[in-house]
Amino acid sequence: MSILHLIRSSAFHRSDFEQCLSIAQSNDTIIFCDDGCYNLSHPLTTNLLAQENKLTIKVLQDHAQARAIIAPQTIEGITMEDLVSLTFTHDKVITWQ
Amino acid sequence: MTTNLLAIINSSAPYNRNLGKESLDVALIFASFEQGVSLFFQGDGVYQLIDQQNPQKISAKDYLKTFSAFEFYDIEDIYICQESLTVRNLSESFHIDNVQVLPPETFAKHLAMHQQILRF
Repeated sequence: MSILHLIRSSAFHRSDFEQCLSIAQSNDTIIFCDDGCYNLSHPLTTNLLAQENKLTIKVLQDHAQARAIIAPQTIEGITMEDLVSLTFTHDKVITWQ
Repeated sequence: MTTNLLAIINSSAPYNRNLGKESLDVALIFASFEQGVSLFFQGDGVYQLIDQQNPQKISAKDYLKTFSAFEFYDIEDIYICQESLTVRNLSESFHIDNVQVLPPETFAKHLAMHQQILRF
């Protein structure tokens, strides 16, 4: 039972990502896309990476590079094709925007 | 415990670009086709439930009064995020009843039990 969370807004601007974290369970995957890429440097993300939890975070490479945002080593950059295949390996998808 | 097909998360304030109205329309349509629907109120969405609102003061459509039709539509699984209430300093006096205020972990578990999740 896992959910794929598509984060499309910046936590510096809206509270969508924060609300996502309040319902995300272990084995869920978080994808930063569009303005969600700005969350790469948000405290919510840095704290998440520092904690022991089974949440995976990935970012859409093109969207981050488009915004001159460099993903830290610990966050994998993926392509749109990878994202599509991820939708098959999860039970549900929620878009947070 | 419910096994409803659809969960709708309401996270916008009542008069914010009529997202609340659109979400209500989707819920009523699914319910009128006998599809199980559960409603989840999180973040600013909890403002849709507070009592004594006067939308006519801003000449806004009073779609909130349609919430009282939930029972008629068999929408009985209505969950509210407790943390969103406390953070906003809101009491649990809502303009609809038979709602369940849940702490975040339980709120999350209930949400994860649905097949499809829409968010407004």
